[in-house]
Amino acid sequence: MSNTDKSVVVSHVSKSFGDVVALRDISFEVGRGEVIGLLGPNGAGKTTMVDILSTLSLPDGGSAEIAGYDVVSDPAGVRRSIMLTGQHVALDDMLTGRENLVLFGRLQGLNRHEARSRSDDLLAEFDLSHAADRLISTYSGGMRRRIDIACGLVVRPEVAFLDEPTTGLDPRSRQSVWDLVADFKSEGIATLLTTQYLEEADALSDRIIVIDHGAVIAVGTADSLKERTGGTYCEIVPRNFKDLPAVADALGELLSDKSRAVLTSSSDRLSIPAPDGATTLAKALLLLEAAHIELADIALRRPSLDDVFLALTDETISDIGPKPSSAKSAR
Amino acid sequence: MRIPTAVRPAPAPWQQWWVLSGRVIRPTLRNGELLTPPAASVLFTIGFYIPLKQLMGNFLDGMSNYAQYLLPLIVLQAIAFAAVSASFRSATDAVLGINHRFGSMPIAPLTPLTARLSASVFRCSSALLFAILCGHVIGFRFYNGAEVTTAFWLLALMIGVLLSLLGDLVGSATRNPEATSHLLMLPMLVFGLLSVGVQPVEQFPGWIQPFVRNQPISQFIYALRALAGDSTPAAGAVNWSVIGPALGWLVGTIAIVLPLYAYQSSRRR
Repeated sequence: MSNTDKSVVVSHVSKSFGDVVALRDISFEVGRGEVIGLLGPNGAGKTTMVDILSTLSLPDGGSAEIAGYDVVSDPAGVRRSIMLTGQHVALDDMLTGRENLVLFGRLQGLNRHEARSRSDDLLAEFDLSHAADRLISTYSGGMRRRIDIACGLVVRPEVAFLDEPTTGLDPRSRQSVWDLVADFKSEGIATLLTTQYLEEADALSDRIIVIDHGAVIAVGTADSLKERTGGTYCEIVPRNFKDLPAVADALGELLSDKSRAVLTSSSDRLSIPAPDGATTLAKALLLLEAAHIELADIALRRPSLDDVFLALTDETISDIGPKPSSAKSAR
Repeated sequence: MRIPTAVRPAPAPWQQWWVLSGRVIRPTLRNGELLTPPAASVLFTIGFYIPLKQLMGNFLDGMSNYAQYLLPLIVLQAIAFAAVSASFRSATDAVLGINHRFGSMPIAPLTPLTARLSASVFRCSSALLFAILCGHVIGFRFYNGAEVTTAFWLLALMIGVLLSLLGDLVGSATRNPEATSHLLMLPMLVFGLLSVGVQPVEQFPGWIQPFVRNQPISQFIYALRALAGDSTPAAGAVNWSVIGPALGWLVGTIAIVLPLYAYQSSRRR
């Protein structure tokens, strides 16, 4: 291994399908035990990125290393170091859960005895022992996803690609996938998680990479990204929405021009930037009390990752201008 | 702990081939699919022999009986039927994303194909065995001694490999199990009926005779008929002019299909 503390090194990777640019000059690194959330709207290039890193697709330019193996010149090394669960469960429907686990164990080089005992352990860990000898075709969606991930864990991966692993799962199954990501972390396995659920990326990821139209538009922790969209704000709801202009007057300097601009005659609440947190809230409360305005609610709010995501992807649209419609077909 | 800490073992290609072959064969033992080749052999025998025996009995090119004349066609139909299930399987793998997943695992590109072909040869062997048994019941016999009889079995199995390979390629490419089966059964039926398997080429209208005589199924039938032999010399001699074209079709088609498959399965876009 050339770089022991980095499990994934991506530098300047680009990829086009015909005229459609799927990825442009993507660079990032993932350390051992680090969880990276790869966020982006449909067609942003997430799956193309995962395909390149899992040796299913070749980059047009740039380079990428997985566990020290180059994805172009040493695909065999990469394939021995990764686990991949895609958006769709890829298992043999005509075999039972146990048979699938034994099959994958044997394909990864375990002998018959090791493969059997490993499959017993995994069935127990993933709460599937009761269904071990049923055909996969009879499994529910959550069970299928669990056995699919279990099949990726018959041997230890160095890098795990979880491509929308909780799409369509019930809350309990989703929680078990989340627990698993925590296990990966403590075992020093790098995880690249693509998801459309922002709360998921928020809860699990050490860092988040937002890609849109094939380019990285933001990198950072969930907190730093939230700061980028304006940080904490204070939301004020008067009991009577007709008091809103009076609230605006009373707040004076505290209400930024930007916040004032978004007020309309049908608004029932307003927000003010709260860089000082509770102190800003206390100041606002004093001013409103002095103006005898009755409030329904006043609270400090932090932007959700959804706000961040919408703000960031909006920015790129206004920065770069409307995209040709063909860009949507990029995977 | 859910994650093993042991060092990953090195995957062994022969072990991968073995378990991937077993993956295809095991369900056929469980769901009764293994019974379809024998059943198909019986049906092809009844379906061709009973209605055609009276009709064609007089046009045998001098051969001793119709069972001896018809058997190569029964064998080919039975093998083709078994080979189509290979295409069904490969199309199912493609559509389920299994090929995709294997592509990201330490498995050589041709290993899954080799395994599916091995399973297919297993099915074709069972089809061949039952077709010969059915033929025996209606009066078919081998006349040419052990060596030539072995050549008959080998040629029939090689045709099975070729058809399985074709079926697998079509199945992987279409990714549609049902359509693939239909796509392959129809040509088998048409080529089978427009061949010298049912009646001599002279019984066909003059304009279509060149096609009937030279199409691959007819060439396979000429070769198999000669290898099986007859109590009369009318089955044809075992020589290059009879066996050569069949081998030519076989080797030529495999030489085209195998690189195509290697390209298709190893391609990283």
